[in-house]
Amino acid sequence: MKGDWEKVWEEARERPVALVDCRQEIPCNPCEEACRKGAIRVGEDLCSAPVYDPGRCDGCGRCVALCPGMAIFLLDRRGGDGQAEVTVPWEMCGEIVEGERIWAVDGKGKVLTEGKVVKIKWMGGRWPTRLVTIRIPEERALKVRGVRFRENSVGSSEEVDQEYDLPEDYPVCRCEDVSREEVLKFLKMGLRSLTALRRSSRVGLGYCQGIYCQEQLRKELGMVTRRSEEETGMFKVRPPVRPVKLGRLGGVNG
Amino acid sequence: MDTGQEGRMRLPEESCTLVAVGAGPAGLCAAREAAACGVRTTVLDENDKGGGQLIKQIHRFFGSREHGAGKRGFEIALELAEDCANAGAEIRLNHRVLGFFEDGRLLVEGDFIYVLEAKAVVLATGALERSFPFPGWTLPGVMGAGAAQTLVNVHGVLPGKRAVLVGSGNVGLIVAYQLLQAGMEVVGILEVEDRVGGYEVHESRVRREGVPIYLRHRLLAVEGLEGVEAVLAKDLEKGTVKRFHADTLCLAVGMIPQAELASMRGCRMVFVRELGGFIPWHDGDMRTDRPGVYVAGDAAGVEEASIAMDEGRLAGVAALEDLGALSPNEARKRKEELKRRLNLLRGGAAGRPRAMAKERLAAGWRHR
Repeated sequence: MKGDWEKVWEEARERPVALVDCRQEIPCNPCEEACRKGAIRVGEDLCSAPVYDPGRCDGCGRCVALCPGMAIFLLDRRGGDGQAEVTVPWEMCGEIVEGERIWAVDGKGKVLTEGKVVKIKWMGGRWPTRLVTIRIPEERALKVRGVRFRENSVGSSEEVDQEYDLPEDYPVCRCEDVSREEVLKFLKMGLRSLTALRRSSRVGLGYCQGIYCQEQLRKELGMVTRRSEEETGMFKVRPPVRPVKLGRLGGVNG
Repeated sequence: MDTGQEGRMRLPEESCTLVAVGAGPAGLCAAREAAACGVRTTVLDENDKGGGQLIKQIHRFFGSREHGAGKRGFEIALELAEDCANAGAEIRLNHRVLGFFEDGRLLVEGDFIYVLEAKAVVLATGALERSFPFPGWTLPGVMGAGAAQTLVNVHGVLPGKRAVLVGSGNVGLIVAYQLLQAGMEVVGILEVEDRVGGYEVHESRVRREGVPIYLRHRLLAVEGLEGVEAVLAKDLEKGTVKRFHADTLCLAVGMIPQAELASMRGCRMVFVRELGGFIPWHDGDMRTDRPGVYVAGDAAGVEEASIAMDEGRLAGVAALEDLGALSPNEARKRKEELKRRLNLLRGGAAGRPRAMAKERLAAGWRHR
């Protein structure tokens, strides 16, 4: 057990206590603002990880609701019967009711144990978060980071034949339907700039004005010319940057 | 429409003191600074809602109190728009800027097309989702992660039943989570690198829901006749190809600053990889090299909404200073505070490369 958590574990015998699992440099301090007891300190340097004193925590749960990373939880071992109550923030849209059975999972999504929902509380401003409290065997309690109904991932995939042939040709400019093969053909002919490609193949002259295909064209050009992106430059931008009906330019409304 | 003497059409003309192009966090914050100082300010945005991309963010935000941290994105959007309007700025939605000419005038399409002249223009046009071509990328069901997010969170429409995401940066992780919230299945997240790009806390959120993240997997193609039916990815470690059954593919492979207007205006454009691509060169106060033209937010380099807010405020203060609406002393004080905050926001490991790029820009940006 890590130093901090040992203290959390001990304090949780007396009252519910927050467990702060935030170690990365994230520019963020709502936990500090949320805490009325001064138990969580981020300080002047917004990116430093919060410094937390479990001894001052009164287990109110405000930080659990407000942490944008959903990285704060509550631990309560007052029962003393080998069971613990763990509270996690829950932001799914579905129903969840007291008494329900649910899986408790760790930070990687691994199922730790099954638990029972004992309390649900809405908290955290005008658009609150549900704080879900579950009851589980206490030896798993420190590891719980979430709950879910599905037992495991929906991810499913199959291996594909080694000889699978990928289509080699596909559109690069979807507005004007210019294929990659066509672009390569013009490059082979010796065209060496975005403008030249645009004039000859119509890439970048469609509805989007080249904002989507431009990067790819720069890459293809760069491979041939060995020029950097900055040297290859951008498409010359001309008005209108958004499509507009000619009639409107001519003063016709609608 | 006024037809002049020679039958030549003249477009209606209008002027104001400061125009912000884009009503996202950067534009709204820039306009608020200006309007609060008594400067006639207009905000233009092509969308029908103010708040930029914040309107579709249902998660709570990082940052500190000044950035609405701990609140959900759409709440922050409403607050910023309200603050901006209360300060006296006019927010024109459904107004699209078609051109920004070298003489400094803007061509705008609202209810009709008109020319808008301003002493100061803050370009806060945001960014665009990066996409790249691959076999099948034009099939219905292939979309940017942000597009899926708009469908789900703004329009209440599911893009499909089963999604694969490409890219495990914060956007990919957050959107995967939000698709789950909306009731979709997320088959997996493909990541070409050997580690997750986004924050651990976001990674953990999707993993807790049982979503697998496939590291060292490269998207190869999408299969399907009339829409996405399967996604093919190559396992770069084993060299094998995997087929995932899904009807939606969301690309979360980064953003590109949307800086066409700056380029049209003649601003010096520089390519800064750390900031997403071509951006208008700007100094530490968000001034471009064209007088009266400022840039802020993702258009000045792709970062976070909290940074966009403070960059917008900084651009607003710089414009006010140049307009003579703020004393140099007051301007200096406000800029120092905003820069202090920006430094803090870029203080972590994820922010440091961007902080360094911004420093190099401020120092003039010479080729290495």
